[in-house]
Formats: sequence, C-alpha cells, structure tokens
Amino acid sequence: MININANMTGPLQSIQPGARTDSPGMPKVGSSDGKKADFAGTIKAAGNYISRVADDQQSSDMSIKDLLSGKNEDITSVVSAVAKADMSFKLLVGVRNKLIEAYKQTMNMPL
Amino acid sequence: MEVNNSFDPIDIAISGLRAQGRQMEVISSNVANARTSDAGKGEPYRRLEATFKSDGDLGGVKLDKIVTDMSDFLEVLDPGNPLADEEGYVAMPNVSLPIEMMNLNIATRMYQANIAVLKRYQQILETTLELLR
Repeated sequence: MININANMTGPLQSIQPGARTDSPGMPKVGSSDGKKADFAGTIKAAGNYISRVADDQQSSDMSIKDLLSGKNEDITSVVSAVAKADMSFKLLVGVRNKLIEAYKQTMNMPL
Repeated sequence: MEVNNSFDPIDIAISGLRAQGRQMEVISSNVANARTSDAGKGEPYRRLEATFKSDGDLGGVKLDKIVTDMSDFLEVLDPGNPLADEEGYVAMPNVSLPIEMMNLNIATRMYQANIAVLKRYQQILETTLELLR
C-alpha cells in the first residue's frame, strides 16, 4: 500500500497570501497554529462529512417512514428533511469527484 | 449579510408552508361551520382568524394565535327552526363565504410563493455545486 501523504500546500507556502484571501468566510492559508492542510487530512474531513450526510439521510428516511406509517402527518417536515439530505449528498458527491480527480492527476504525474 | 447556514432558507420557506397550512385549516373550519347555528356554547359558531408573527430577527414565520371574530351574528328569518326566537329569527354564524374564499386564495398564493422560494433556492444551490465539476 502506498502511503499517500502528498503535501499539497508545502511548496506553495513561500507564496504569501495576498490581501484578497482575507475575505470573510475564507480559511487562512498558513494559519498561526502551524497546521498544514494535507491530502490525507482532507480525506479525513470528507469522512467526517460522510457521517453527517448519513445522519441527514437517516433522518429523511425516518420521516418518510413515520409519514407512511401514520405516526407523523406533517408533509412539510418530510419535504424539509429530504431537501436537506439531497443537498448535502450532492455537495458530498461534488467534493468526492473533485478529490478523486486530484488524486488521479497526482498519481499520473510523470516522474 | 453573510450566510452562515445554507439550510436556513429551506427552514424559513418550510415555516411559511406550515403557517399557510394552518391558515387553510382555520379557513376550512370557517367554511365547514358557515351554517352551524349551535356551536355547543349556546350561540352560533364564531368565525376564527389566524394571526402570524415572525420567529426571531431573521427567522421564519409562526402562528401567533387563533382569535375569534366578535362581530354580530347574522339574523335569518326561519320560523320553522326549533332555535328561532319569538319573532322567527335564527342567529347564524358571522362567517361570510366570499371573504373566506378571498382568504383561501391569498393563503394558496402565499403557499405557492413559499414553494417557489424553496425550489429556486434548491436550483441555485445545484448551480453552485456545478462549479465543483
């Protein structure tokens, strides 16, 4: 098994982030705690996000089951749970595709 | 204004759907009881009206309370009715069907507007996620 620890930000560290990256909501590159974001860390974060998406899916499943079994008769709560689950799943798929693409590109790099 | 939670617009739109659903409940009660001359309290059915209030500063809407319309009852001449008074008049609910129909139309349009917001928001989220492709 190849140990993937491609440090994505390492070589870029010398490039100082411009003033534009300080916009609100943007994570700071080269933050004060000295922690660098690496590929494995990103995969781990995606793993955490998967469990949150699974929670959303489960709650939407539960609300559909409750509606069909007559325990709950509020259709709007089902709609809300399904809309949230759908949205977070789409985000997860988008991030996963991008990560796999990045991995493939890195692995196909001629050395 | 920074959007902190991308689920917030969904929740707000859903709260609008719920509120309009309750409004329709009140309207259907009014229409169903438009000719109820005895509502169990010795008087005809009194028209109900739902009032709404906003839920927090940037939140959804919620049902405040359901108030009763204290306007006068309609007097109908019906001498054969056992509830008629000496002159033959029967008190009927203060429900006016044209007004209820108007309120029903408003509630329907409001419901559709909230659905439109929800749909449009889901659409723009999908467009945003397309940037990842």
